[in-house]
Amino acid sequence: MTPWECLTFEWFGALFSDERILNGIWNSILVGFGTVILSVSMGLAGALMLTQIWPKLRATYYTVIIAPILIPGVVLGISTLVFWDRINRMLGLGADSFLSNGLFLTIIGQSTFIASYCMLVLVARLQRYDIALTEAALDLGATHAQAFRKVLLPFMKPAIASAAVLAFLASFENYNTTTFTFGEYPTLTIELAQKVRYGITPAISALAFIIVVLTVFAALANEANLRRKELVAKARKEATVEELSSGRIRMPGFLSSNWAAVALVVVACATVVVVGTATVYSPQQCIADVQEQKRLETEERINELRRQRDLRRQQQQEAEQGNAAEPNQSQPTGNNSGFGNVFAPSALSGEEEEASEAEEAPSGNNSGFGNVFDPGSLNSGQDN
Amino acid sequence: MSAGVGVDLENLWIRFGDFVAVRDANVNINGGDFFSFLGPSGCGKTTILRAVSGFLEPSDGRVLIGGNNMKGIGPNKRPTALIFQNLALFPLMKIWENITFSMEIRGASAKERRKRADELLDMIALPGQGDKLPSELSGGQRQRVAIARALCAEPDVLLLDEPLSALDLKLRQHMRTELREIQQRVGITFIYITHDQGEALTMSDNIAVMKAGVIDQIADGKTIYNDPSTAFAASFVGENNVFRGKVKRVMGNEALIETNRSGDLVARISSANQGRMKEGEDAMMFIRPEAFTLAPEGASGDHFVTAKVNHEEFEGNAFNIFMEGEGGKELKVSIPNLGQSFEDHTGQNITLEYETNNAVCVPAGELAAE
Amino acid sequence: MPRFLKEFFTRNGVGIGSLMLGLVLFWTIGLIILPQLSMLDFSFRPNLPPPEVGGPKDVYTLENYKYLIFGPEGGGQAFNAVDLKVFFRTLVAAVCVTVFNLILCYPIAYYLAQSKGNHIRIFALMLIIPYWINEILRAFALRIIFGETGVLNTLLVGSGVFDTPFDFIRNDIALYAGLGYAYILLMIFPIYNVIESLDRNQIEAARDMGASWPMIHRRVVIPYAKPGISSGCTMVFMLSAGALAAPQILGGPSSLWFTQLITNHFTNNSDWPQGAAYAVVLLVTCILLVLAIMRLFKVIWEISANEELLLHAAEPLVLPGDLLRLSPGATGDHVGHCLQLPGLPADDALGMPDL
Repeated sequence: MTPWECLTFEWFGALFSDERILNGIWNSILVGFGTVILSVSMGLAGALMLTQIWPKLRATYYTVIIAPILIPGVVLGISTLVFWDRINRMLGLGADSFLSNGLFLTIIGQSTFIASYCMLVLVARLQRYDIALTEAALDLGATHAQAFRKVLLPFMKPAIASAAVLAFLASFENYNTTTFTFGEYPTLTIELAQKVRYGITPAISALAFIIVVLTVFAALANEANLRRKELVAKARKEATVEELSSGRIRMPGFLSSNWAAVALVVVACATVVVVGTATVYSPQQCIADVQEQKRLETEERINELRRQRDLRRQQQQEAEQGNAAEPNQSQPTGNNSGFGNVFAPSALSGEEEEASEAEEAPSGNNSGFGNVFDPGSLNSGQDN
Repeated sequence: MSAGVGVDLENLWIRFGDFVAVRDANVNINGGDFFSFLGPSGCGKTTILRAVSGFLEPSDGRVLIGGNNMKGIGPNKRPTALIFQNLALFPLMKIWENITFSMEIRGASAKERRKRADELLDMIALPGQGDKLPSELSGGQRQRVAIARALCAEPDVLLLDEPLSALDLKLRQHMRTELREIQQRVGITFIYITHDQGEALTMSDNIAVMKAGVIDQIADGKTIYNDPSTAFAASFVGENNVFRGKVKRVMGNEALIETNRSGDLVARISSANQGRMKEGEDAMMFIRPEAFTLAPEGASGDHFVTAKVNHEEFEGNAFNIFMEGEGGKELKVSIPNLGQSFEDHTGQNITLEYETNNAVCVPAGELAAE
Repeated sequence: MPRFLKEFFTRNGVGIGSLMLGLVLFWTIGLIILPQLSMLDFSFRPNLPPPEVGGPKDVYTLENYKYLIFGPEGGGQAFNAVDLKVFFRTLVAAVCVTVFNLILCYPIAYYLAQSKGNHIRIFALMLIIPYWINEILRAFALRIIFGETGVLNTLLVGSGVFDTPFDFIRNDIALYAGLGYAYILLMIFPIYNVIESLDRNQIEAARDMGASWPMIHRRVVIPYAKPGISSGCTMVFMLSAGALAAPQILGGPSSLWFTQLITNHFTNNSDWPQGAAYAVVLLVTCILLVLAIMRLFKVIWEISANEELLLHAAEPLVLPGDLLRLSPGATGDHVGHCLQLPGLPADDALGMPDL
């Protein structure tokens, strides 16, 4: 019982027609970029300052800039909201001012702690930086800005890239802080959280698929790249002067002794096959087959449940006479197969009795994950 | 060879909070000289270098380069180039990019830079290595690249901060010769920082001996070795045997020292202290190990020292005799090995003789730590 | 201009220097210190409609804190049993999650740190990849696994361990597992960091002297790893006590997390000062608890960025937690020492003045 029983591209269609999800992705990207820029630059400044600050102040300063990592996200969100609201009022600006804008608040709120992460990543690299390099550049005639741009920044580049990726990921998945600050700009995570509370929709599964595939790709690509760099460095180190100067150095092949690259190619092929099959495959027949099979299974199960309920009702009736069983108990639950009620809209409410009632309508549609992955149930899913 | 640009330090003071790193330094460095600051670590010599290169503002006094006051002029505007102790080659730039960094700053084209880099690589005997990364070179090669990079900036003064300290002994000795050759070829002023007296003596035209922020003596190597002006200079440069005592009598350029343990000995007063040593004052007398000769038994006088031999060793070019010296310090004597027979004196008293000219006395002062 | 400021600008240049100083001040004061103070101040004020803010009614009051303890005025109860119960349950559960995580992660970290080779890299990558995926989706995946008809129940019932599906969600097992899983890396990496720097010979020497494995861990590895353990525990505790997404998705219908109460005050009740007061209580209690436990185990907070992991592991894959580390028995000065840049002139220790 997997969601892949019926490969189809329609889920993606569902995803790309879900306005709220698309809007959420767009907002997340906006927030992500803002956060990356702000937190990487604050993190870099913070890290540089840490290496220069007066020793007596250093411990205090360090505690202050590390604290946001340990402060619960909700607290950061609240304090950001409260503080900027107050600034807004002090400046006499209205509720629609820049300072109470959801994008601004979210970027500011997230950067508060993401900058600390960036600072740690950058400090780790900065510790290996020899301040004499900057001095050498100055000594050779560079201005401070030139020395920073030509010497320090290139040195910090790998760490800045790591910090940026880290910041973007942290921003993209942040929920606790954003909950309080998003205002008119719900990010993807906020949208997901709101949807997920009422069960999963095809759009979300499609999104999850995309995210997982992209993630695995990115991870493997990065690993492959690192391995390759190592191998190239090794080859360079072993090369002779003639080889280096003539440029005829023998570089290792992309796939040689690089498991990550091999894995990358394999995953890429697999994805292409899956997506390709999904696009050309007509799901109708498959869905019908699966549904038929599920229906049979479900009927069996319903019957069994009925028997149990009847049994229970009898016992109840024996126990407390006059207290008739609730009418909805007698209704067959439409959605007991597979992952069943987990996805039922009100599963979280704990009132399963009602859930079964609500789910009655699409009860003919019992694919693997309940009706969730059935494109036909899209509308009901979105209504949630 | 051009005359080069001179560097003058006038009443230079550098303080960090309460700590005085450099105290009233006055130095005139002639253009085209190879000038060394020699002293133990922590004596303030690097601080002076940083003040000359512009990384530090003096607390007091002036730094003049070519007669121009450098106050307020940043390191990037001074006609100096510094070779850092750890070389500070840019790790991510190729060798040719490293060498021509100063041209990149001035906006030179890549072609010009390549050409100049090749010239300089030829000069430092590393032709064709321009496309390597610094990490792909050996220590000595990196050393030469650092020199080429500094020379590429066409400085009037080249500052070197113990650049050889990271190299192994053999390479270090080789690089001494090479550095001196480069300096004579380009003809600019070199200011060299070191704690290694061998480097200072072999390469320098003039040496300033420093101790705890104070310049003790400025002179050429031979003078510093033979005619130190302070106890510190005498004990820091080369090996020396010290005799503590009081001035008993001054006789012109010579003084009779009443030593604590070796009787009255006569010594030449170092030229910087002539006329300044008074009878009854504390004094120190220095005799180099190689200045002693074995005297016939029983000889005595004001240029004979008798002491008990602790142990002896054979070093190849010399026999070293270690004797019971002053205050726990050993008295060392080196007898050159000229093929003579040499008997073991361990445990015996022997008498040594020296020429008055080879013994130098200065006012008592702090000695260099071992 | 004060001397240190002048030196700062000489060293960094006016342009870069002011940019740096500006960013750091904005971050520390504008984003960290002032908002927290502002929240603290806010928590002592009554909930007023916007026009009355700053008016005569806007006075300091302890009402919001009283509410947490005694409940609404005239509520008829001696204590605000509901909220207090949620509060203590949250703290206890966070402690349990931390302990559980420690027990689970210590062996993993030890294994990662003590073995070398490609498979370790793959293992680490597999640990890290899930953390690139959205927190909400991650929590939801767990909900699928732990659901009444989910994978786990299907397996357990299918294999005959249980007769009927076990309700993991209602019993909060899903929640604890979710929290534990969410912060597993924050526990593994600090411990990994420390153990990795432990000289293998120490373990060999202990074995050579006949120590058993439990003994080796108790006497050699754990004392050495204590800084990593305490920093991992601190982070897992603070973050799970402050978690919001996992309790919302994985929490049972009747169990609330304290952060959910806080959120409620903001979103549903529009009582910001009340929410701020709850947030302050949560923050202060957590900090005090962490400090108390640290005092108990005699560890002093000290963090230093970890270089090794950044160098050897895939750099962008690094997750925040791995960067933190505690060292035992050090004073604040030590922090500075850890962060000393190499390459300052060795000669003249004072050659580079500190600002």
